[in-house]
Amino acid sequence: MNDLARQFRDFFVSLKLTVVLIVLSLILVFVATLDQVNLGIWAVQEKYFRSLFVLWNVKGIPVPVFPGGYLIGGFLLVNLISAHVYRFSLTWRKAGIQMTHAGLILLLLGELFTGLLQEDFSMRLEQGAPKSYSESFRENELVVIDTTDPKTDEVVAIPEPMLKRGASLQHPRLPFRLVVKDYYPNSALQMKSGAPPGAPQATQGIGTTVTAVPQALTYKQDERNIPAAWIEVAGDSGPIGTWLVTTIAGTSNSAPVLRPAQTFQHAGRSYVIAMRFTRSYKPFTLTLLKFSHDKYSGTEIPKNFSSRIRLETPAAKEDREVLVYMNNPLRYDGFTFYQASFEPGNDKVTVLQVVRNPSWLIPYIACTIMTLGLAWQFWIHLAAFIAKRTRQPQAA
Amino acid sequence: MDWVEFSDTRDDFFPLMKALPALAAGLTALLAATGCQKEEITTYRVPKEALPAAQPAATASNAPAATTAPAAATGTSGSSMANTPVATASGNALAWTAPSHWGAKPAGSMRKGSYAVKGDGGEADMAITAFPGDVGGDLANLNRWRGQIGLPPVDQKEFDRTTVHIDRNGLHMNVVDIVGTGANAQRIIGAMVPHQGATWFFKLSGPDALVAREKTAFLALLDTVKPAAPAR
Repeated sequence: MNDLARQFRDFFVSLKLTVVLIVLSLILVFVATLDQVNLGIWAVQEKYFRSLFVLWNVKGIPVPVFPGGYLIGGFLLVNLISAHVYRFSLTWRKAGIQMTHAGLILLLLGELFTGLLQEDFSMRLEQGAPKSYSESFRENELVVIDTTDPKTDEVVAIPEPMLKRGASLQHPRLPFRLVVKDYYPNSALQMKSGAPPGAPQATQGIGTTVTAVPQALTYKQDERNIPAAWIEVAGDSGPIGTWLVTTIAGTSNSAPVLRPAQTFQHAGRSYVIAMRFTRSYKPFTLTLLKFSHDKYSGTEIPKNFSSRIRLETPAAKEDREVLVYMNNPLRYDGFTFYQASFEPGNDKVTVLQVVRNPSWLIPYIACTIMTLGLAWQFWIHLAAFIAKRTRQPQAA
Repeated sequence: MDWVEFSDTRDDFFPLMKALPALAAGLTALLAATGCQKEEITTYRVPKEALPAAQPAATASNAPAATTAPAAATGTSGSSMANTPVATASGNALAWTAPSHWGAKPAGSMRKGSYAVKGDGGEADMAITAFPGDVGGDLANLNRWRGQIGLPPVDQKEFDRTTVHIDRNGLHMNVVDIVGTGANAQRIIGAMVPHQGATWFFKLSGPDALVAREKTAFLALLDTVKPAAPAR
């Protein structure tokens, strides 16, 4: 083994590295907890824990100032696995330590997989209206939908992070280009007549009567940003028009003036352009049959709320009614549907939280392995101690 | 203490050690790949939906930005759509949507919500507060406000005659509109909203002309006041 490999190995199996990493993670958790006041839990998780580096914006340039959760966790994982492998010896005496370490490794991997694979969306169901998609709490998307076919819609979904001012977006499914004339991550609408001069201009749709003004980003847990963008649709022979899209327009829930979908024609096909909450389609359909909302008599305090829902799959493989209420979620196809909320004054609507976490069992397994390992280790020591004690009187 | 015996310079390493650099490189690559997930355009085909595509109001457990605010109701009231939905403030018990042209101020320890309403050379103050109980009753509260703009107290009969009652989203609101006297007359439009054993006060105060002009926006805000949905 050459020197370099030895140094490499010694670095990764070193206990000093473990201590340094644990200290770094302590600092990271401490600072992130303080910053939660400014950013809220969701943004803190993304900035500090689900990142390789904590970035600071210095004059618009992101500068890494501290290792992020993924980097520290990754090194910790490599450190643990290395030490585990390096010092591995198959003896009963060491079995407890090996198990504890294996459990810890599994726990770290579990968090990594949760971070990568977990989906936490919401699903708003109106009574009698079947729905087969859930929507993100945070993320938004620009969609261009080809509605020409009488039976199906073809959707091209562009994630919000791709909407940079000046960006030109192309896709093989779109016979035109989308140019982002302007984009506000959070906005409010106002009548165009009161808009400040120089504001971006739309030539089609709602943007001809209203305009968006930028707002400070919100990180509060109970608020969401309302992005707005001016999108120019440009065909081969020049621009078709510029539309203002925002998540509060073009939906059945929008204010009446903003409600109509924004449509246009190109090369004999019909399209809808919209900004909406990022959707996740499911291979099954849920329909709200009845939402019940009981209150303690004489008060507005909710006593119980439940949703009777019909679950259907396309091939009628499944067609049944389920009752979802507090602490009694519907579990189906790897998703868990919790009764999450409702709309005050509207008993024809229910709001479910849709969670998918394929690695939800890992922490349980990891903790079990660690517990068994520690118990075994403790038992080995206890047994040795008892044996020593029982030998002592004879020696005396 | 054999379970912390770490000797860093053992040479008779386990054969698996040979795989270590590859393992470390693999994990680092995995982390690097996951650290910068690339956003991509996706396409899919779905059964046709009625237009406009049904889409929810924000539906986090505490009902985020209200998208149901009646913008149209006020769209004709002036150049700025008074209650076009902006961020929804939500206290412990009530949530509302403020008009977009009102500037939010720090709420401080006493207020649940605070806004600066600017107009021709003046500024009005919108304060949203909540106190346990009925705080002495609506008549006493009205007389307190009357005192603040130099008006004499009134009796129950006058209170009953001038108070407007509004019922919104399961809430009952007593709305009063009082104007002071003199050249620099002040005006207060206020709503008292009993809710779950507390009383919420929505109070817009400032120069008469400005407050009068903002009355539509104030009433539009009241339309959006609703109990904050409880978390699961």
